[in-house]
Order: sequence, then structure tokens, then C-alpha cells
Amino acid sequence: MEPERIDEFEKELQQVLQRRPAPPSLKRKVMERRGFETTARRKHYWIAWQRVAAGLIMAAVLGGLMEWQLQRAEDRRRGEEARRQVMTALRVTERALNEMNLRLAARNRDPDQ
Amino acid sequence: MAHEWQPDFEKLVDEHQSMVFSLALRMAGDRGLAEEIAQDVFLELDRNMSKIKNPEHALFWLRRVAISRSSDALRRRRVRGLDLWVEMNEEHTSLPDERPSPLATRMEFLLTTLPEAQRAALVLRYQEDMPPEEIAATLDAPLATVKSHLQRGLKLLRAKAANHLREYIRGA
Repeated sequence: MEPERIDEFEKELQQVLQRRPAPPSLKRKVMERRGFETTARRKHYWIAWQRVAAGLIMAAVLGGLMEWQLQRAEDRRRGEEARRQVMTALRVTERALNEMNLRLAARNRDPDQ
Repeated sequence: MAHEWQPDFEKLVDEHQSMVFSLALRMAGDRGLAEEIAQDVFLELDRNMSKIKNPEHALFWLRRVAISRSSDALRRRRVRGLDLWVEMNEEHTSLPDERPSPLATRMEFLLTTLPEAQRAALVLRYQEDMPPEEIAATLDAPLATVKSHLQRGLKLLRAKAANHLREYIRGA
């Protein structure tokens, strides 16, 4: 393989393009911005967690409310059913009593029967 | 069991700030912008510390991101229509003890007039002393393309130097 040839111009270029020292304030600024970013990130995470927690609480409250409503509707349905059964029983009883009354009345009119 | 390398952000800034700043300076041609780019590069490093495997990877990552962020900054400046070059030897932009020689300043100026890809290849080659294979890996470009950028960039820079820096350059 042909060895790499560096001519005078490239040597000059290498000299010219030596690393320059960074400004003395660079590291301080980086560390300051890093501090701000870390604080902002933590704040952002905290807000995000707060939102998640609030969402969970809201979901739990809504779920509880919905469960309570369903339970209430079921209780009402059962109550209605019981009332309907009682009414039916009362109607049956009323009819039986009426029939009994009619028979008693007929017997009172005709004691020979 | 191999000792696992624990990256220390502050130490990495100390070690590489000059390299990152110089890359940004040569790519952007503006000391203020270069400082901003260098800050952004280190903050990005901080966000990606968990991905850095060893000191060599940190160096590779910093070079790559420094070049990439410098290109982004140049693109943003082009979009805004701002002038690309701020004279590097202006008194307000550098400290007295680190003021570059007139030759360095003019050569750096000529460098900024090269196409961006050629400039990136030349800066990595002559500032960082990297072989073309490493440059290709850093720029995520084919080796042949990098060699072509180096050759053309050097030829163009040589021609510009011959026209503008005749009094300084011996080999031009």
C-alpha cells in the first residue's frame, strides 16, 4: 500500500487547525444549563406523575359513582319487583275476600242454602 | 468480570470541551455560535449518558454530534439569511492570550468558504488527526465519498490559499 504523503501545505494546515482552548465560561454555562434542565425535567416528571395520579383518582371516583348508580338501579328494580308481587298478592286476596263476601251475602239472603 | 465504565459528565466536559468547541468553531466560523453549539452538544451528552459505553465511544459520539449540530446551526442560519462568518480575530470574540495568528485566522476563514461536507472531512482529518475510515464512521458516509471530499477539499483550499495567502504559505 502506498504510504500516505503529507506535503508542506498539509503540515501547515495541521498546525493551523490545532484545537483551540474552549472559552473559560463554557464549562460553567454547561453546568448551569444542566442544572436548569435537571430541575425542569424533575418538575416535568412531577407534573406528569401528578396528572397520572389525578387521572387515576378521577377514574376511581367515576368508577365508584357508576357502580353506585348500577347498584341503586338494581335495588330500585328489586323494590319495584317486590312491590309488584305484593300488589298481586293483595289483588288475589281482595278477589278472594270479595268472593267470600258475595257468598256470605247470598247465604244471609237465603238461609236454606 | 470486566470493570464497567462509569461516565463522569463533569470529567467528560473537562476532557473534551476544547475538541468540541474547536470543531464547532471551524464548522460554524463564529465563536459565539460555536460556544452555543458546544453547550448544546454537552447537554445532549448528559441526556444520553446511559448510552455511552466507554471513553472511546464518548469521544466518537461527541465528534459526531458536534459536526451534526454545527451543520444544523448553519442550516438555521442560512434559513434566517445571516452572514456565516464572523472574523475570528475580532477583539471581542477571543481572549488576548489565545488570539490566533493572522495565517490561522485567514486559513480558517478560507476553510469556511468550502462546501460543508468537505469542510467537515478536512477539520476531522487535520484538527482531530483522524484517518479517512474513522471520518467515514463519524460522518456516517461511505469511505470513497469521504476520500473524495478530502481530496477535493484540499485541492480547493490549496487553490484558495495560493490566491489569498501567498505571503504565508510555503507549500501552496
